[in-house]
Amino acid sequence: MFEFTGSPVPVREDLKNAYGDIWAHLSEPGPTLTGSQRVSLAAFVRAARSGDTPAWPDLPTSVLNLAALLFTDPGEVDRSSVRAAADDAGDPMTVEVISLVSMLAAVDGGHRGLTAELEPLPTPTEGAPTGVIAEGLKQRRTHIPMPAGAIPLALDLLPEVGRVFQDSFGPQYMTGHEMGFDDFGRAPGLNRAQIELVSSRTSLHNKCFY
Amino acid sequence: MLSSSANAYDYPLDIAAIRDPSIPTGIPGGTELLHFVDALVARAPKDLTRAQTAIINTFDQESLVDAAAVFGNFEMMNRVAEGSGIPISPQAMERMRDTIDELGLISLLKS
Repeated sequence: MFEFTGSPVPVREDLKNAYGDIWAHLSEPGPTLTGSQRVSLAAFVRAARSGDTPAWPDLPTSVLNLAALLFTDPGEVDRSSVRAAADDAGDPMTVEVISLVSMLAAVDGGHRGLTAELEPLPTPTEGAPTGVIAEGLKQRRTHIPMPAGAIPLALDLLPEVGRVFQDSFGPQYMTGHEMGFDDFGRAPGLNRAQIELVSSRTSLHNKCFY
Repeated sequence: MLSSSANAYDYPLDIAAIRDPSIPTGIPGGTELLHFVDALVARAPKDLTRAQTAIINTFDQESLVDAAAVFGNFEMMNRVAEGSGIPISPQAMERMRDTIDELGLISLLKS
């Protein structure tokens, strides 16, 4: 798994491990979806981007519309598209779908940057959804319920999902601790100013203020 | 943030280069990194291969992995930001006022 076939350079182990953790997470039952539904959703959005005819997972149309739009054109997602899904399927499932699509975009984006073949989707693990959902969170001028704070907390309605999301930052970008240092740098590798240049241009292309 | 990290390294950053990569960034290897992102987004295989080679020659192999990983990370973060609709605080808006104006970012804010 994660051989990065086609990459012109070797890939560091911590990045492979981070992607492997996301893949294991994707295959397992989530808070509201089975492993099979989660992997089907990933296949659906990949097909939506590639122009293939996707197999439609057994999920509400508004949820599938949000998933496809978020994967292919995130800048076009707005409150109405998120709330349409949440009104049909509930906030927890909507957050789970946002998380899956977003983490899939990370793994596929890293592969595309290295001109590596996309990793085949994992085999789903059997089992019922976990039902692990935080209580007491509200929408705070946001589309979904979340704690007060910044983007790293955005998925914390689903604590096990939020953990996987946050654990992926270090190998891909910087750990929370490293983000405290403006002069952070990898040696060999890019320093923080060079890292932020890549992130800024990527966000501008995605029409994302963040 | 880009401006504070550029300051930390004493790089003469020109923030306008984020909007227009023909403008020198002031950051070593900056033009090569911007071209890499542009080639990826454009899904232009030949341009991407050229951009990858330029990064390897300007920096090293590890830096190409870093650039691809950061691109992937922000493919993720941008989607979480749009999906969650997390607002930009007034304090952050004020702190970033020059950058917002220079890059025309106000148009990206949604109600």
